Amino acid sequence: MPKLTIDGLEVEVPAGTSVLQAAEELGIEIPRFCYHPRLPVAANCRMCLVEIEKVPKPVASCAQPVGEGMVVKTNSPAALQARKNVMELLLINHPLDCPICDQGGECDLQDQAVAYGKDKGRYIEEKRAVTEKYLGPLIKTAMTRCIHCTRCVRFLTEIAGVPELGMVNRGEHAEITTYVERALTSELSGNIVDLCPVGALTSKPYAFTARPWELKKTESIDVLDAVGSNIRIDTRGNQVMRVLPRLHEDVNEEWLGDKSRAAIDGLAKRRLDTPYVRRDGQLRPATWAEAFAAIEAGLSGLKGAEIAAIAGDLADAESMFALKLLMQALGSPNLDCRQDGAALDPKVSASWRFNTGIAGIEQADALLIVGSNPRIEAPVLNARIRKRVLKGGFKVATVGVKTDLTYAAQHLGDGVEAFQAVVDGENPFFDVLKTAERPMIVLGMGALARADGARILGAARHLAEKAGLVKDGWNGFNVLHTAAARVGGLEIGFVPGKGGLDTRGILKAAAAGKVKAVWLLGADQLPTNPLDSAFVIYQGHHGDVGAQVADVILPGAAYTEKDGTYVNTEGRVQRAQRAVFPPGEAREDWKILRAASEVLGHVLPFDSLDALRDALAAAVPAFATPDAAAPGAWGDFGEAGALDAALGPLGSAVSNYYMTDPISRASPTMAACTLEIIEAGNARTGTHG
Amino acid sequence: MNLGTRLYTWLRGEFVGEDTFGNRYYRDRKTARGNRERRWVMFNGEPEATKVPPEWHAWLHHTTDAPLEGARHAWQKVHRPNLSGTKYAYFPAGHDRRGGKRDKATGDYESWRPS
Repeated sequence: MPKLTIDGLEVEVPAGTSVLQAAEELGIEIPRFCYHPRLPVAANCRMCLVEIEKVPKPVASCAQPVGEGMVVKTNSPAALQARKNVMELLLINHPLDCPICDQGGECDLQDQAVAYGKDKGRYIEEKRAVTEKYLGPLIKTAMTRCIHCTRCVRFLTEIAGVPELGMVNRGEHAEITTYVERALTSELSGNIVDLCPVGALTSKPYAFTARPWELKKTESIDVLDAVGSNIRIDTRGNQVMRVLPRLHEDVNEEWLGDKSRAAIDGLAKRRLDTPYVRRDGQLRPATWAEAFAAIEAGLSGLKGAEIAAIAGDLADAESMFALKLLMQALGSPNLDCRQDGAALDPKVSASWRFNTGIAGIEQADALLIVGSNPRIEAPVLNARIRKRVLKGGFKVATVGVKTDLTYAAQHLGDGVEAFQAVVDGENPFFDVLKTAERPMIVLGMGALARADGARILGAARHLAEKAGLVKDGWNGFNVLHTAAARVGGLEIGFVPGKGGLDTRGILKAAAAGKVKAVWLLGADQLPTNPLDSAFVIYQGHHGDVGAQVADVILPGAAYTEKDGTYVNTEGRVQRAQRAVFPPGEAREDWKILRAASEVLGHVLPFDSLDALRDALAAAVPAFATPDAAAPGAWGDFGEAGALDAALGPLGSAVSNYYMTDPISRASPTMAACTLEIIEAGNARTGTHG
Repeated sequence: MNLGTRLYTWLRGEFVGEDTFGNRYYRDRKTARGNRERRWVMFNGEPEATKVPPEWHAWLHHTTDAPLEGARHAWQKVHRPNLSGTKYAYFPAGHDRRGGKRDKATGDYESWRPS
């Protein structure tokens, strides 16, 4: 390990470390624009110049590997002068439009011009101007402001794997461009807004709506996919203005999917802000007391087995736990949190978790993806797989409809017969898994939500045991969820009790009139026809599918409006925090259930969120330790039997990344993305708006 | 106009003129040496200070010796008293009394209505 001196302080770092990183170890900050720890080094902004003894000229510290006995000065007069000159050069063509620039207040160039720049410019010639580029509905450009750090190009090429941006021409004529004018197709494209050190790339939905200093920042958890990305919710007054990623090395690093970032305008549309009660076939606004009275009337005289509850994809763990206790008090065993009917075994925790862990992907050396498209089901997780692929020595194969995953993957086949061939050892990829030291399999909801899902799960377990996916210190069996609430629901045990019905059973029984009342906790991804004759209580925040068929609507809170616990696909318990208040008469979901339980005569044993969390932690110990993910206990799960090839090829559970839940379906930005990116190239007919 | 003012005007007042709204202006017939003459107005109808038009306002407050000319320019508007509390009162755009339709603001949301 080379030892070097930076500003008179000695530091020993591994060989290959750059001078800039070594300085960071010591807590010395060197200004930079193009350098980013997660991106390849470009060294083209020259802002990180330092003086190194015995080197005649200033050196770009981000690209200079450390050497034994190096003596570096980061704040010598020569280094400071060099930075001043670089800053003067950058500002030659950068417009001085900070007052009308969205980056103002959080701009690296602004900050560093104050800290390291000259107090006045000497440039009196014409500035250059660059034409705007169109990058889709999420990213607004002002390319004259670009300082050519190429962070955006490197991010899309290396991390997102969608090389749609590039730099053309040289010198003063250099431009960042998409080559052909069209929207970026990456699901991670929003991150280039965060990466841009100046105001060249800014968020289009957020454009000119707020300044960073007037926003209240709340650290929370994203629920629009099952990764549980850590986010920061920026609010002004009672409105969510934007969502930014927060650093969590084991989950999302510092990236965030476009849906999680831009679907928030859906939080201000189609909101349920008052209770409704159906009278004479029409939903009429009501008071809470009237709604609870209607529920009491609707449930009175019903036996426990005639009542059912289904939890949706965005439900928090607290409200699911409260609903489970309420259903138990009412004597109903019919509850399910798997509204898509996924055949997850509620008894064995290893059967529903992403046991390897998202960070664990980086240790794996072979991967089989079955019935999943991680690129659209969990883009941040897909970026982690891509990161592992780029390191080399990692074989990826997929079973299912062939798609572009942004990295090379061997396509074994569309249908279950290809999967069966791997399980039976007939496909050579079985040997790849068998000989690999740390092999992984990722099972998607596209495989498990089929009618033969339980048999696919059983076959996958068989494969895991046969190919040695599960061994000491390594569990390579992974389920990739698409719903943020799913793992939490399974941990709590929001699944059919003894003799209870699952989602399919509830719907069938409701159609047959055997289940007379159904409580939908934000469940919108259901065929609602079977519920027509049943008494439906819909508790949720958006007027989506569930609200249409409801007899009583209880307006709940969206994820930005309540303190909630969510469990991500790894089984990591994370706490989301309230950033704004629910609109109108809407209330936090656990409070609604607590109030309803009192009307129904089965008072739930908690009066505060803390008491509820204590009860939850006592019932399920995993909830007592937030932010810990561990592989589940292995066991016997799934069913044996032949897989049903007649059900067609294995697809992804998500068809349109931009619209998967009530919030993103209500979002105008997501609708624009769907039109521009998903439906780009599709012929438009006369019925299009 | 209370009785005291009427009596005082009858005993001491000298009529100066009348504005276009029918308000009558008076001043003292005699002024003690060293004192400034008193000037006052007998309102036509309700006593309301803002009924005094600007040309008389200047005279009334001893800014000018004589009332100003009336409308000297085509663009001069007719004087209007304070309309607060009347049906002609001003309400900003978006006020409930002007239809309540205002521009979008932070925190606004669209609520769902059953179809």
